[in-house]
Amino acid sequence: MKALVTGVAGFVGSHLCEYLIKNGLRVVGIDNFMDYYHRSIKEANITGMRKDQNFEFVEASLLEVDLPGLLDGIDVVFHQSAQAGVRASWGQNFKIYSDNNILATQMLLEACRESPVKKFVYASSSSVYGDTKDLPMRESSLPCPVSPYGVSKLAAEHLCFLYYKNFGIPAVSLRYFTVYGPRQRPDMAFHRFFKWALEDKPLKVYGDGEQSRDFTHVDDIVEANWLALEKALPGEVFNIGGGSRVTLNEVIEIIEKIAGRELKREHQAMQKGDVRHTMADMTKAKEKLGYKPKVSIQDGLKTEYEWIRDLVE
Amino acid sequence: MAISQELLDILACPKCKGDICLNEKKDGLICDKCKLLYEIKDDIPIMLIDEAKPIEK
Repeated sequence: MKALVTGVAGFVGSHLCEYLIKNGLRVVGIDNFMDYYHRSIKEANITGMRKDQNFEFVEASLLEVDLPGLLDGIDVVFHQSAQAGVRASWGQNFKIYSDNNILATQMLLEACRESPVKKFVYASSSSVYGDTKDLPMRESSLPCPVSPYGVSKLAAEHLCFLYYKNFGIPAVSLRYFTVYGPRQRPDMAFHRFFKWALEDKPLKVYGDGEQSRDFTHVDDIVEANWLALEKALPGEVFNIGGGSRVTLNEVIEIIEKIAGRELKREHQAMQKGDVRHTMADMTKAKEKLGYKPKVSIQDGLKTEYEWIRDLVE
Repeated sequence: MAISQELLDILACPKCKGDICLNEKKDGLICDKCKLLYEIKDDIPIMLIDEAKPIEK
């Protein structure tokens, strides 16, 4: 079986690609090294697999590349690429989000009409739910994103459904809930917290730290993608969470335990587009995919700490 | 180590979507129609229009 992984040099894409290769798939990876964070970090993410003969890599943009050609011989698409960042998606930046998150997805789906695939797994986001008080978040709830980023992810998710309904593209969407673990993007909270902790700097916390997230370890996200390939019915949407809702303050306490000392905190104003709480209802993923998160927040944070410690040293 | 034939077969010029071929030095892919060279760096084909080099003829 041969897979196409978009955003292969990114945080989730690189982990997923390694897993697919380990499980006997051949992978074509594509990435355009968007400059949201430094190229060298993404290059490092794929260094290991570059040596594998079952991995081919193309530096290209989905908006430019000959997609039907690229899909020739591909059985499954894992569409992981996106312009990330909730807070940066306002203003003139939105064009970057609409191009890379909406248009690129539409072009990829359109190409699948010409070069059919057996499964198309789309990496969606819990940000489609917005700031709802109706917790846990259910796939059947009305999505109401509060950031342009969330709007772009929801639009692409709807496109996946439309292309399934109208053209039979076997697309499945996985709504990832705040993913963390080794290779987490440098702009994400845990990465910054660990880096500051190791550099003996105060941790900058948006708001009072009582906002909570259903933090999901990247290993569980990868597992969910595999289950989506094997089991998910086309046209479906699934919440993929970590199984426990934790506040940022609780996370910092765990980080303090891992670091072995108390850490200073510096509270800053909440950011526009940030939601207060997220929590996934995973009944559907459990019943239909057999998904069950395995990595606890304590163990998961340790894996990220060790990775960042190695980076800093 | 060069890039595989299998990968070459699925690549096309991102500008015109037409055929490309490996240059003599095997360090780039050429689109004859657009007169562009897409470099291969560290065995990675860089299929980006902005990064392509015009070919003088």
